[in-house]
Amino acid sequence: MTDLDHLKANLDFVQTAIKRGRNDMGAAPIYYLWAILIAIGFSLPDFAPRAALPFWTVAGISGGLLSAWLAHRYGKRMGVHDAKTGWRQGMHWLASGIAIGIAMLTIATGKVAPETGAPLLLALVGQAYLLAGIHIHPPLRWSGAVMLASAVALVWLRIPYLWTGIGLVVAAALVAGGIAAQRAARH
Amino acid sequence: MATDAALAGYDPLFEHRARLAACVLLAEHDEVSFARFKQWLDMTDGNLGAQLRKLEKAGYVSLRREFQARKPITWYRLSSSGRAALNNHLQHLQIIISRVQSRPPT
Repeated sequence: MTDLDHLKANLDFVQTAIKRGRNDMGAAPIYYLWAILIAIGFSLPDFAPRAALPFWTVAGISGGLLSAWLAHRYGKRMGVHDAKTGWRQGMHWLASGIAIGIAMLTIATGKVAPETGAPLLLALVGQAYLLAGIHIHPPLRWSGAVMLASAVALVWLRIPYLWTGIGLVVAAALVAGGIAAQRAARH
Repeated sequence: MATDAALAGYDPLFEHRARLAACVLLAEHDEVSFARFKQWLDMTDGNLGAQLRKLEKAGYVSLRREFQARKPITWYRLSSSGRAALNNHLQHLQIIISRVQSRPPT
């Protein structure tokens, strides 16, 4: 083996280790938590429209805090502390949460009609998930794509239980993401 | 000259691929546990421990121990001198690679 072959073998080893280090799909319980919250929360406009806003106000904040705790616990269990990544992820969801909260406020105060605001709200949530999938954890891309497609459907389709259907599809995408994350954590 | 300085950045401690990989991983993540290193580097406890001890002795990594559910966990962190040495070594490797790539084919 020449020195160059030796160097190449060493760099291949380092590259494989880096790939393993970057193959993080996040904490599976966070996917499952949001699958449950979204399945319940998205069905509320069909079954109890008045409960939707209070539900999302409480679920959004407490779900966010619970997710942060689960992410911290996951990092400890996985043996990786990454303050910069944690900060970046936290800022992504905080900024998204603020934007979503503002959109909810415009609907709740009657500034924007629910039929107009709902697709925009869903598009905003979809964008937050899609960007999180691109920049943070890849499985979130599917949930984001489903939400964006559903936002388009909301503009034109007027079919019963549409929100419930969207919630179930997004929840299914999140469960699939959670399973992928669980598998990645094992390897 | 800058090139000579970069060539001088060669560090024999990074000659072993596990030590180089461990420091590259620590440059990307703030702290990594021994168990996680073992999985990422696919090494035995003994071999990995020996390589990490060499980095610790050189002052390139620092460690701290904590207990989780009564199990001891050792966390490793790259020191500032380790980061500087790694950067110099990587520059050195880049120069070697660019020289090989610019060499006319025989």
